[in-house]
Amino acid sequence: MFGYIRVDENELLVRELNAYKAVYCGLCKQLGKDYSVFARLALSYDCTFYAILLMSLERSCNGFTDKKCTCNPLKKCKFAMCNSECYNKASALTVISVYYKIKDNIADSKFFKKAFYKMIMPIFSHWRKKAALKYPELDKIVAKMLEMQFEDEKSSLSSVDSAAHPTAFMLGSILALEAKNDIEKRVLYEFGYHIGRWIYLIDAVDDISEDRKNQNFNPYIKNNISNDKIQSILNQSLARAYDAYILMDIVDFKGILDNVILKGLPNEQNKIISKLIKEETNG
Amino acid sequence: MDNPYKILGVSENATDDEIKSAYRKLAKKYHPDNYVNNPLADIAEQKMKEINEAYDAINKLRQKGRGSGSTSTNSNSQSGYSSYSSGNYYSSNGSTSQFYSVRVYLQQKMVNNAEQILDSTPANNRTAEWHFLKGMCAYMRGWNEQATNYFTTACNMDPSNGEYKAAYQNITRQQTYNYGRYADQTYSNSSQCDCCDICSALICMDCLCSCCR
Repeated sequence: MFGYIRVDENELLVRELNAYKAVYCGLCKQLGKDYSVFARLALSYDCTFYAILLMSLERSCNGFTDKKCTCNPLKKCKFAMCNSECYNKASALTVISVYYKIKDNIADSKFFKKAFYKMIMPIFSHWRKKAALKYPELDKIVAKMLEMQFEDEKSSLSSVDSAAHPTAFMLGSILALEAKNDIEKRVLYEFGYHIGRWIYLIDAVDDISEDRKNQNFNPYIKNNISNDKIQSILNQSLARAYDAYILMDIVDFKGILDNVILKGLPNEQNKIISKLIKEETNG
Repeated sequence: MDNPYKILGVSENATDDEIKSAYRKLAKKYHPDNYVNNPLADIAEQKMKEINEAYDAINKLRQKGRGSGSTSTNSNSQSGYSSYSSGNYYSSNGSTSQFYSVRVYLQQKMVNNAEQILDSTPANNRTAEWHFLKGMCAYMRGWNEQATNYFTTACNMDPSNGEYKAAYQNITRQQTYNYGRYADQTYSNSSQCDCCDICSALICMDCLCSCCR
């Protein structure tokens, strides 16, 4: 369920691309600092987006600096600096969400994979405890999401809406934590809700073939939904996320965030749907 | 009030035409039609008001600068979109509606209370309006699919009702929304060449690497 929130690099200005990479590197470094060198492997584009959004909302990015790269000692990288807890929060969310993802995988997988996930579980469990201590509300929201998801997949009444609800609710609630007033809270929740819904639903498209083979739960298979319908369901989530997005007062990183909403996400959607169609025509 | 030029996102030296076009663009973006039944409709409306006020303020300032006797073309600036008021759920069916209290709850965004009343309605009383309001509850929550089904039923039961039709059309608009230029290249990525796939995979990997270097 990771890595769908991307930028369209071709459409970014060079300085915007540099800024995007600088936040990516900054988050990577923070993961190393707060958790461990190996936690950096869990770095995702989604949490980079979260970090950029936080920095933009708090207006807390105060410049860039050149420092040695954490992965390659011979290279120098740009790092985005920030005078609030954006990076800490984003890295906490990274390890917490990976922990729950592994927990979910253990419940879903077969023997060998299960054994593998069980082996790496204690490491993430340790990091997650550390993160949950600092940001208990994040941990609570993600844990609730998994519980709701589990309930829904068991239920015979599960629909596309109800299956997507836990993830949507999770992202909505996480972003609503950042609100400074009631109006901002409603806007952020609505924006997060529809982005979260879109993430769940695009991930489900990506998994259709595999889920069909392994007879796993998939909302589209369960509700027997056609490819055209899938496209319009996803469009609508993006449209509603956009309607909420333009009500935020974004100044910093506006180019990057606009790019994600208007180009990155539709790009990703088109890529995954055409992959599905290709797979189906090839049998 | 904030600087009106800032609200419209133009410089103070911008020409009248530039200001007009900036205003039009923003007014189109936040137009109430884009926020039909949306739980954020009131916030968009507020934003629209700010934009209208800023535009009027700039026009007034500029007319004063030119001398008030001038026959400026901007004199009827209020024309725009200012008269529209949205989110009024009492509207078309008025207070005679049997679901008046549901509409009041929806107006206050108390979706759970609204739904409670609807769910306790006996099956033989479930009119087109009932389906429409059920759809509203779902839509407010973000349950788009359920909302689509209820709105469709409401429209089929009472095809002449403008309110139901508007809700249905709004949903259709969102479902066909694919960000302008992306609309026509929806399925264009299905290239046949496997070599290209390998190359693009390598390019992607390279992009990933360059982030850490």
